[in-house]
Amino acid sequence: MTRHHPDSLSLMEYSAGNLTEPHALCIRLHLEQCPHCRSRVDTLNSLGAVMMEQQPKVTVSDSSFEQLMARIDSAPQDTSPVVQAPRLSPLQKLLGQDINELPWKRQLGDVSVLDISEKFPGQGERVVLQKLVAGGKAPAHTHRGDETTIVLQGAFADQKGVFNQWDFVVLNEQDEHRPVAVGCEDCITLSVLSAPVKLTGTFTRMLNPFIR
Amino acid sequence: MTTLDQQPAKAEGRKDPWGVLLEKVGKHQDRAAYHALFEHFAPQIKYYAISNGMASHAEELVQEVFISIWRRSCLYDWRKAAASTWIFTIARNQRIDMLRKMQRTSAEMAVETEDLWQIPGDNEDEPVTSLHRLMSERRIRESLSQLPEEQITVIAKVYMEHKSHQMVADELQIPLGTVKSRVRLALNKLKVILQDQNV
Ligand SMILES: [Zn+2]
Repeated sequence: MTRHHPDSLSLMEYSAGNLTEPHALCIRLHLEQCPHCRSRVDTLNSLGAVMMEQQPKVTVSDSSFEQLMARIDSAPQDTSPVVQAPRLSPLQKLLGQDINELPWKRQLGDVSVLDISEKFPGQGERVVLQKLVAGGKAPAHTHRGDETTIVLQGAFADQKGVFNQWDFVVLNEQDEHRPVAVGCEDCITLSVLSAPVKLTGTFTRMLNPFIR
Repeated sequence: MTTLDQQPAKAEGRKDPWGVLLEKVGKHQDRAAYHALFEHFAPQIKYYAISNGMASHAEELVQEVFISIWRRSCLYDWRKAAASTWIFTIARNQRIDMLRKMQRTSAEMAVETEDLWQIPGDNEDEPVTSLHRLMSERRIRESLSQLPEEQITVIAKVYMEHKSHQMVADELQIPLGTVKSRVRLALNKLKVILQDQNV
């Protein structure tokens, strides 16, 4: 069971459909594993339905329903009932079966990264996977913009606590930290960055190491 | 699924007339039921499209939402969401879908809209809902009528105009913190905030 959840405002933006694709993915991955937040989103979706119901109504064109039925009658293959097929997790769809086997790029010491921003064209955000080897330490760093992270595997700890698999965390410029991978697995996270990370230690190269 | 858990949910869920119509469409492709749903929801969806800046595609969005309702009604499960909640999520997803398709003519989408924004009931692994979930629309309607106008305005802008909290702050010329606190106050009264950490 996860212990770090998205806040209600983020879930509301998700429910309203206002988030970018990478941010929605982070929420979606958390929801998959968190019945508590699924229930919150259910309520927020109902809030959306009630908001829609309480707004003005706009008459649709007279032929609108006939058009709809004509389309259903003329293209039955495009309008046939959907079949409920077992869905791949969005993570598997995006990254394949084993996230440990990705073409990781080794960076500072214990940290490997993989930039997957190109999977979200037109979203204007950096989407980065990061891996910290079991027991490894990331260099101290801070964050320039808001940065959303979800733990995909293993766990890490910093001054603020322990973040386990499917935990959700948002960091900003106030958060300087030095994460350590805890447990016996490598810790893998997915982060969405609105601005580059600023290193606070002795490192000067901009490498985006274990940036959460 | 124990009978004890089922009974109250059943009584409540069965009162939703739109859900009954959706089931008729799903099970029997009932066109009269489909038409009744269209009469009720199409004008809401058209306004939804117009208020979020898609006026020139409003009729098109209505069509796409209703094709999706026709195709998906067989998956609708009244125990997982009220009909209007289910239709809201379809309208939201079709809007996102339409914008994604407009923005990307050729590039392949690595993930589909439904991979990112789920429609209630699509995941068959998910346990059948609680009474609490089914009650929520009625409860929200009741609580909403007691909220101050300034809170409802902010929520409406987020849901209907797809403005981020920052954009709402800019438009109303109030600080971002004020927008957030209005939303939090409202969500608190609507009992959406069940547990917020890091706040
Ligand atoms: Zn959660």
